[in-house]
Amino acid sequence: MILLQVVVSGLLMGAVYALFSSGLTLIWGMMNVVNFAHGDFVMLAMYAAFFAFTLLHLGPAFFIPGAAAVLFVLGVVVYLGLVRHVARGPMLAQILGTFGLALVLRYAAFWAFTANFVSLPDNLVGGTFDIGGLRIEASRLLGGVLALAITLGMHLVLTRTMLGSRILAVAEDRNAAMLMGIRPDRMQALAWGVGAASTGVAGALIAMFFYISPTVGESLSLIAFVVVCLGGFGSVPGALVAGLGIGVIEALSAYLIGAVYQDVVVYALFLLVLWVRPQGLMGTA
Amino acid sequence: MLLEARGIIMAFGAFRAVDGADLDVAEGEIIGLIGPNGAGKSTFFNCLAGDAQPTAGTIRFRGQDVTRATPEAHARLGMARSFQVPVTFEDMTVAQNVMVGAFLRHGHRAAARRVADEVLAFTGLDQLADTPARSLGTPGRKRLEIARALATEPQLLLLDEALAGLTPAEVRLAIALVRRIKARGITIVIVEHIMEVILSLAERAVVFHQGKVIAAGAPRAVVDDPAVVTAYLGHHMKRVRRGGVG
Amino acid sequence: MKQWPLVLLGFVAIAAWPLLTDDVFLQRLGALVLLAAISASAWNLIGGYAGQVSIGHSVYFGAGAYASLVLYTQLGWPPIAGAPVGMLVAMALAAVVGTPTFRLRGHYFSMATIAAAELARILVANWKLLGAAVGLMGPPVPRSVVDLSFISPVPYHYLFLAVLVVLLGLTWQMQRSRMGYYLAAIRGGDRAARSLGVPVLRYKLYALLLSAAFTSLAGSLYVVMVGFIDPDSALGILISVKMVIVAALGGSGTLFGPLIGAIILVPLEETTNAVFGGSGTGVTYIVYGAIIVLIARFRPGGVADLWRSITVRMARRAA
Repeated sequence: MILLQVVVSGLLMGAVYALFSSGLTLIWGMMNVVNFAHGDFVMLAMYAAFFAFTLLHLGPAFFIPGAAAVLFVLGVVVYLGLVRHVARGPMLAQILGTFGLALVLRYAAFWAFTANFVSLPDNLVGGTFDIGGLRIEASRLLGGVLALAITLGMHLVLTRTMLGSRILAVAEDRNAAMLMGIRPDRMQALAWGVGAASTGVAGALIAMFFYISPTVGESLSLIAFVVVCLGGFGSVPGALVAGLGIGVIEALSAYLIGAVYQDVVVYALFLLVLWVRPQGLMGTA
Repeated sequence: MLLEARGIIMAFGAFRAVDGADLDVAEGEIIGLIGPNGAGKSTFFNCLAGDAQPTAGTIRFRGQDVTRATPEAHARLGMARSFQVPVTFEDMTVAQNVMVGAFLRHGHRAAARRVADEVLAFTGLDQLADTPARSLGTPGRKRLEIARALATEPQLLLLDEALAGLTPAEVRLAIALVRRIKARGITIVIVEHIMEVILSLAERAVVFHQGKVIAAGAPRAVVDDPAVVTAYLGHHMKRVRRGGVG
Repeated sequence: MKQWPLVLLGFVAIAAWPLLTDDVFLQRLGALVLLAAISASAWNLIGGYAGQVSIGHSVYFGAGAYASLVLYTQLGWPPIAGAPVGMLVAMALAAVVGTPTFRLRGHYFSMATIAAAELARILVANWKLLGAAVGLMGPPVPRSVVDLSFISPVPYHYLFLAVLVVLLGLTWQMQRSRMGYYLAAIRGGDRAARSLGVPVLRYKLYALLLSAAFTSLAGSLYVVMVGFIDPDSALGILISVKMVIVAALGGSGTLFGPLIGAIILVPLEETTNAVFGGSGTGVTYIVYGAIIVLIARFRPGGVADLWRSITVRMARRAA
């Protein structure tokens, strides 16, 4: 029973991982550029939610879309101001561009909000459910279900709408898309916006049940890399399955080996996958 | 035979990009690989160069089985290539680019530089020796790729659309260069879209269509082969026979 | 090279630095600049020359630092005696980490190095023999001169300078040899390099082994001077980041780039630390981050590249 409890809470956390990793995989598949600041975007969204609640007294119904909007703008600005330019440059510039951004965001948060952990009140969304002996906090349930729904929604938008097929066309072949009258620059800016907005929602959701600190983004970035590598680069369904899987693996290893080693297991798995199947478990060769 | 490819198949899932192709290359000849877009000639070419490993079939170079050998082993054995989209080393000068090739057979800098200087003079790049590779235009880059390949002192040179995207005047210069390379005793396999090039350069043409070799022989005869005419679009062939650059 | 007189002048100035001032802060600054230049120059071998952007070099730095202090705490050896051991351990780690990761391209390589370094940090932080989260201390009082424990920073300055000169001399030789050309070709593109007969994986490994060995030596030198390490100060991601920034600012893949970068960045870091006190670390890294964003955006070649374009422009004007 305890094991089942662990698996369920792993799945709920994994759904949130899947959500922000979908954003990373979208950006990645689109232009083959990694956002090293992805986890730090999530961190910003967590603080956005925190301050929206403590300073403006806004509840989840407001701060979740609010964080998404703020991060959407940030994503577009980062694309237009930085990524668009470094993407054409040497590999060193591509890596240092977003990596430097990660440092700026992380330590600016450190400076502005101090290293102290903060958190939203536990009872923001009412209490704990008891489902057949399983105890699930309402905030985690809401977070998991909402994250799952939005990830699936993202997948549907990408595969079923005109806009989605335009985005995918640019990811597939930039020049061919241009010939069809699609403006790749706009689509890529949009992908960065949507990718960042996914961290906005994910961050606001995590903030409801997780502590908030300036350096939390570092391990979240690594988790996003792991999920994207496992799920195959550019694949939202892949990210969904891999995100849920990583959530469960993390929860199980924390329970079975100890919380200190949960990251060790995830990182080791990541390296193993990169070494054995560089194209990802679900990607094609 | 310098190079023998037998029954080469390259499958991507159910799709066979190359479907049982054979090729013999005798020492000293210039062979042209032609065929419409997507005919599989580039994939086949990459198998020959060791850049891709065929699903089935064998490739022998100078009597040795090189089917699964790495690209660097191909270079050591005496096979050099150019790329469809030139990949020059942007941070280096033209001479340094060529020296990378020369280092394959000469461990010392001075010796490598001597070989590079000779190749640069031979390819007409000596005036540009000290300019950065990134400042070259497409014709310069294509020429530099050929120079770099020659510096590895190959017996067989594989040229992947080395003349595509050049102006007619540049094409004539490049054709002259290829002739001079042949005069050095180097065998050449050339993949080309421009029929004019094949007609004026190649001693033998091999036509690919849907992954298979559908015709081989003297270029003039091959161009008139009915199977080849149907493979290409009719109006395209007319343009080609008038000597246009397709 | 027409710039030899300038280079010679630079090294004379660096050698004279501790004699020009009595201020311990400034003397210490000189030693720290040289130490940062050593580790960034070591990173430069793989990250700059071969173009494989490792963000996990803290692993090798930590190998040297921990080897030196473990041999002291367990066997009572003087910390510097751990340096060769650390270099061997670092090279072994490099072979283990490098062989599989070199098949990865660009970003994937960088991500793999970050993950490997984080893995190492967490494992060490929970490893009793290595002092776990608390860390390890060197000899509290020097037992003999071999402990290389001095109050004045000046002896360290000359020790570090000697190591830097050896490393740069080796790098210069390497740059002019076949290996230098091959690494530049690898940076230019694996596929083209291989078509010219460059054994790409082997040369990447050579570069990483050399790089790891000297990074480890830098780690040993660091503990010899500072006398204390913990998982964050020897294995934290910021250790890796600093090597990358110093090299990239000065000019990655150039001989003197990392030294130039260290001369600019280390005084900046020490000054912000002195001005802002405890909260200085945060500010330092905001500045670091901003600097690499600006380099990436406007001048990926770093200061060395800027210098080159200025001299070219001046030469043109003179002509």
